[in-house]
Amino acid sequence: MTAAPTTTAPGVTGTWRFPVATLAAGLFAIAVPQVVGSYYVSVALTLCMWIALTQSWTILSGMAGYISLGHVVFYGLGGYVSVVTWQLLPLWVAIPLAGLAAGLFAAIIGAPVLRVRGPYFVILTFGIAELVKYIVINVEATIAQAGRLMFGTPPVTILFYVMLGLAVGATLLAWSVRRSRLGAGLIAIREDEPAAETIGVPVVRYKTYAYILSAVIPGMVGAVMGLRLTYVEVLQLFNPIISFTIVTMAIIGGSDDARGPVLGAGFLLVLSELLWSSLPQLYMVALGTLLVCFVLFAPNGIVGLLARRGGGRR
Amino acid sequence: MFKKLLTTAMAAAFTVAGQANAAEDPVKIGFSISKTGIFAQGAASQMTVYELWRDQIKARGGLDVGGKKRPIKLVWYDDESNPSKVAPIYEKLITDDKVDLLLAPWGTPMHLSVAPVAEKYKFPIVGNTAASVALRQVSPGYIWFPTSMFPDSIASEMAKMLKQQGIKSAAVIANVLPFAQENQKFLIPALEKAGIAVKINEKYPPNISDMTPLLTKVKQANVDAVIVLSYPADSFLYMKQSKEIGISAGFQFLLVGPSIPVFRKAFGDFANGIVTMGHWSPLQKKWWPRAKEFTEAYSKKFNMPPDYLDSALAYMSLEILEQAVAKAGLDKEKLRQVIATDTFETINGPVKFTGVENKLLPTGFLQIQKGDLQIVWPEGMATSKFMKR
Repeated sequence: MTAAPTTTAPGVTGTWRFPVATLAAGLFAIAVPQVVGSYYVSVALTLCMWIALTQSWTILSGMAGYISLGHVVFYGLGGYVSVVTWQLLPLWVAIPLAGLAAGLFAAIIGAPVLRVRGPYFVILTFGIAELVKYIVINVEATIAQAGRLMFGTPPVTILFYVMLGLAVGATLLAWSVRRSRLGAGLIAIREDEPAAETIGVPVVRYKTYAYILSAVIPGMVGAVMGLRLTYVEVLQLFNPIISFTIVTMAIIGGSDDARGPVLGAGFLLVLSELLWSSLPQLYMVALGTLLVCFVLFAPNGIVGLLARRGGGRR
Repeated sequence: MFKKLLTTAMAAAFTVAGQANAAEDPVKIGFSISKTGIFAQGAASQMTVYELWRDQIKARGGLDVGGKKRPIKLVWYDDESNPSKVAPIYEKLITDDKVDLLLAPWGTPMHLSVAPVAEKYKFPIVGNTAASVALRQVSPGYIWFPTSMFPDSIASEMAKMLKQQGIKSAAVIANVLPFAQENQKFLIPALEKAGIAVKINEKYPPNISDMTPLLTKVKQANVDAVIVLSYPADSFLYMKQSKEIGISAGFQFLLVGPSIPVFRKAFGDFANGIVTMGHWSPLQKKWWPRAKEFTEAYSKKFNMPPDYLDSALAYMSLEILEQAVAKAGLDKEKLRQVIATDTFETINGPVKFTGVENKLLPTGFLQIQKGDLQIVWPEGMATSKFMKR
């Protein structure tokens, strides 16, 4: 483990400033439903959703460099758990259960999936998400549940509070993993996996831990969003666009710093709110252009740009 | 560079907002539509009807609001074919844009998503392009569905029709998506009850790209009727591959797709004889004298005929709303009462809601005959007799 810390430099906040600021922002955000209308509460809910998903994604894909293009599978499984158990289990049981299901699924598929790297891993994660989607569709069709109607789901304010908790939780989790032995090991894996293994990083175990950690919160996020739907179609729960958006937000924000996903999610959401209502077609074009520009000119995302402007890494 | 892009984007957004403010006190009518995403193709035939109606209202000198003519302005947003976006959009329309009236989004999931919003804000919405037994679970109050396409009644009517045609055996293949599944669930017992042997009863995935193995099985079963509970994309695929394989059953049914004008255009004569669900055709002049007028106006504006299902339903919902507003004005509670209790004249005949349903409209079937869609069921409403394919 001695070699790893030297590569952890980019943007690691050395003090407790970051978690304190995160908690403060979280506490401040509790007031949101009191000051804005219900539409903006749902916008805030969406923002928290993207922050939670993108932060979770960075634990594996940002730190270990295993780019997952199928993170929606955890979101979808979590959503499916909450939809199926709705009115059978209370919310405080269903949501952790969804997280548990997602984590368990990651643990099971982690062993074979994490054996491949690079583009193969990208394709495999995408393929697994699609496979699970069609399995769930077929299960639903077999039990003759063609689309479920959800009655009496909790109001948006309640869901917002839960999602806010998940966003804060995911941010703190990503921050603490990055500072931990596990985080150092993951970054070592990303930089040079065989070298990391040679110096004693438990590569397989660390990757599996990271995969599980990056799956649990998306499972719970899916559970909350499942309750936002009034009519559930499995296709929507496992929509691959969710995976793509997570990757886009991480790239735009920067995935090497816990501030990155917050900035990426915030930036894209503001952009989408500005363009979506007036120029819907332009939104997707702008998104594509931005992504290309960031990859080419600012590979470390907004965080990287800020650091450069600030005269170096903090 | 990014700053510039953002500035341009913001400037564009403000320009659009500025233009909106310049208009003189119009009645604001809001809705969300699937302009992009997987439903965009289907939703287009509803959006066109909304545009046609806007032009017609303009030509008539405005919308009659309790006896006073006022201009209208459509305020709409793209829901990106994502049902979870629909509820927030309608909340925005009501609380942020403060629209006076709401129109329906496209498709069943979207309607079901918007129902609780209508209920919460006590804002009446006349639905249109939704068809599912799930609609009946929506508590009556602020949303209504003019369609007669409920899978349980489609199943019982189909069984009656097939029995009358002397059909003894059938093959049923269904997409696993919700609407097709609901139909399959009701259809199989209905056929069996009518004494029709269901020799094949299978499902297929939503993005199927090759039906050959399934259709080969269907051909080998040598049945009198082939019932494909399909969505538009697989309806097109069935047509192509059933031709290659040579399925020649006298009765061939596709659930969603044949009513889209492009379908008939794409397959020409080969489409003749295909049966689909539907309850409207401009050819039924006796029942619906105004249907022809609508078809002509639509064809003139868009250079193609309307979708006999979605465009007709969308226009019906507008006619209902227009008549209700003329009587009740824009007061939501008065409007709700009028919609819930009055009888409305539409291009698809009179509409009166019982709960959320319009029970005046019978469930029917259309058949492509010589390139046009004829109503072949039920008998009283039919514009032509069923012809074997």
